[in-house]
Parts: sequence; structure tokens; C-alpha cells
Amino acid sequence: MVTIPPGQYVPFTKTARGAQAVPVGAFLLDEFPVTNADFLLFVRANPQWRRSQVSGLFADATYLSNWANDLEPGRLAPADSPVVHVSWFAARAYARWVGGRLPTMAEWERAASAGYRCSDGRNDPELNRDLFAWFAQPAPEVLPSVASAKANFYGVRGLHCLVWEWVEDFNSVIDPAGDAGPGGNLYCAAGASDVKDTGDYATFMRMALRSSLKANNTTGSLGFRCARDTGTAPGGKAPEGNLATEKSR
Amino acid sequence: MGFAGLAAAARAESGPGAQTKGGATAPACCCTESPGAAFSKNSIYQLDARFQDDAGREFALGSLRGRPVVLDMFFTSCGYACPLAVTDMLAIQSRLPAELRSRTVFVLVSFDSVHDTPEVLAKYRAQRLLDGRWVLLHGSDSSVRELAALLGVNYRREADGSYTHSNVLSVLNRQGELAYRRVGLSGGVSELGGAVVAAGK
Repeated sequence: MVTIPPGQYVPFTKTARGAQAVPVGAFLLDEFPVTNADFLLFVRANPQWRRSQVSGLFADATYLSNWANDLEPGRLAPADSPVVHVSWFAARAYARWVGGRLPTMAEWERAASAGYRCSDGRNDPELNRDLFAWFAQPAPEVLPSVASAKANFYGVRGLHCLVWEWVEDFNSVIDPAGDAGPGGNLYCAAGASDVKDTGDYATFMRMALRSSLKANNTTGSLGFRCARDTGTAPGGKAPEGNLATEKSR
Repeated sequence: MGFAGLAAAARAESGPGAQTKGGATAPACCCTESPGAAFSKNSIYQLDARFQDDAGREFALGSLRGRPVVLDMFFTSCGYACPLAVTDMLAIQSRLPAELRSRTVFVLVSFDSVHDTPEVLAKYRAQRLLDGRWVLLHGSDSSVRELAALLGVNYRREADGSYTHSNVLSVLNRQGELAYRRVGLSGGVSELGGAVVAAGK
């Protein structure tokens, strides 16, 4: 895992009191997203998370739908590609199983705010070029190996341009069109009116995705990676099987 | 039709056997399923999140199996939406037919895992005059986040310690399956009351 030093996260949406930077303490983040090989070990050990056995409450009908069967990822899900078609509940259960947790949105965004060569990626032309190229492409049927992803300033790979990723508090994004907030019966933030920086297209896309998701949803371009508090030894229950850990050695 | 009328209709629908099942005796437990049996496929009681009630006791949501449940996620220091939701829940409780009222549970789960300790929840119970049919729960951030995800409740903690959150009242049937959701503060209590009647069958 990679240590992300303490820093801050500026929330994407303005509050009544304006956008306020939130301090983010140091934490550990997986260098790579969780792969199909990693996830196979998890479903082997936890039958309730196999495709044929999972409760619809915790994963929808497309859960692991790109796998050949319960215990065989198969042709469309190569061992070293990021696992996708996983729900938030499944991602969380996996993280707990390896002794970790999902990163919070603040942690994820803080790690992902880095460019390839500096800690502030906003002005990194190379990253921006890659991002827009990625947005312009439909998700490939077979995702590339996690090893193909470029490392950012902190040494974390694939936060951008590979798959979208679940975060622990994905459901802290309040859907403006849906539920009610404290300012009125309908949450008063129509469209992007409360967005701090509309030029930050990539963040806007992530926020829109998060606000549209339910915890049992799965899609072909949504995976995850694990985090840990600093001071907790990486390893957990299945260190030997964690491809990402292997590759980082 | 009032709630009582709905209840009568529900009894008529479910046939002669139903009358005895929910009789006026033993209000405390009405579990007709065996407690050891697995929860149904869509039961939110499959969640292994742990909570603590306002007496500081461990509380598993699965212990509510067998009863209709009205559940709200809230925080005690909320000055706007949460008190209104509790008022609506009290209104539903008072209007339910006596038999159904005796076995319906009203659950409040706090977003605020830091400040809403069992002691604070106990104080809130006293202030709002919530009787023994109410369960007030404190949980870890992780447990609260998980339950919220299952109920489709979005929330975030703001810098001032308050919470921005969806206003959702959920009705669970006796298996712990989500039977009805009221989103937003409007909509009144009639439809919700009807949902409780149906969930109590």
C-alpha cells in the first residue's frame, strides 16, 4: 500500500458557509484497484458473495455479470484487470475481509487530486489530456491490466482513466433532484448551481455518478480499492493472494 | 377510510385465521416465525450492523422480526426536519387501531454517532414523551452508513456538526422487508398509516 501524507480536501459542492477545506489525515491506500484474481479469493472464501448466492438487497442482477460463472472470472475478466460489476456492499465486505476498509470520499479525492509529477493535478496537462481521452472512449469490453495504469505523484495507479471506484461515503452526495435537505422540502441545489468549480469536469462526473448510485448497484466500469489507517499493518487475512500487494514489492 | 377501517379490511382479506394471530394478548412479542430461521432474501435484518439502544444495551435489528416497524434516521440536535418526522410518527402511532399499535415498533437511528450517545437518546425520549414502543439507536459510523445505504438515505456531516440528509420514513414488514418509503416531508400520515396496516398483516 501507499502512504498518502496528511493534507486537505476541498469539497466539490458549496455549503451555505462556502466551500471549506477539510483536513485529511495520513492514510494507506492500495497502489492498484482490486483485481478479478483478488476478488476470486474473496468469493471462494465467502460463498454468500458468489454470484448465484448473493442477496439482491446487497448486489443487483448484474453483479459479476462479466464473470464466466461463480468461481471462474473467464475471458471477459482477466485475472489482473480491475474487478467491476461489484456493489458497495460487496466492496465493503471484501475490504473488511482483507482487514482494510474503503477510503472515504475525502481520502479518495485527496489521493486523486495529484497529477503524475506534482501533488496538484489540476494543472497537469498530461493528466488532463489522459482524462479527456478516457471520457471520450466507451468502456472496453475487456478492461486492461491494472499494471498498465500510470502512477500518480504518490505512486498510486489507476485512480483515473481505468475504472470508477466506490468510496465509503458515496451516499453523502445529496441528489438535488431527489430527497429533501434541511433548507426546504426539496433539496435546493438544482443542477450544478452549488458546484464550486464547474471547470473541474472530472470531479463533476464522479459526483454525478456517486449521487446516482444505490448501494447494491453494479456497473461494468465501477470497481474499488481498499484503504487502511496508518499504523495498521497491511496484510490481513489474505495477503498472499493480493495481486496488488505482490506487484508493489 | 381511517386506519381502523384499513385494518378491518386487512383482517377481512387475510381470512379467519388472522384474527387470532394478532390477538390482544402478549403485546411484547408476536413472532410467528421461529427465531432461529434465516431472514428472508429481501430482509434488511440480514445486515450484521450492531447498534446500542438508549439504555446502552446491544441491539440487533433482527430482534424486530415479527413486528411492523416505522423507521427514521435522524439526529437529536436537528432543528427542522427531524422533529417533524418524529411528530408524524407519533401521529401515526396514536391513530393505529389498538391491536396493531400494541405490536408496531417505532425506531429512530441517529446519524450522529459522536454526540447522540445512549444517554443523549434517553434524554430525547423523555423530552418527546416516546413510550416503550419506541427504540432509539446509536451506532458506529460504519453501521449507520450501512443501514442508510440499505434504506436509500443519503447524508453527510457538515462542518458545524449538523447533518444534511434525505428525509425518508421507512416501513418494514414483519420479515424486515422494506414495504413502503415516504420521501420528503409532505404526504401526510394517512398513506404511511395504511402502509403500517399492510405491513402488520
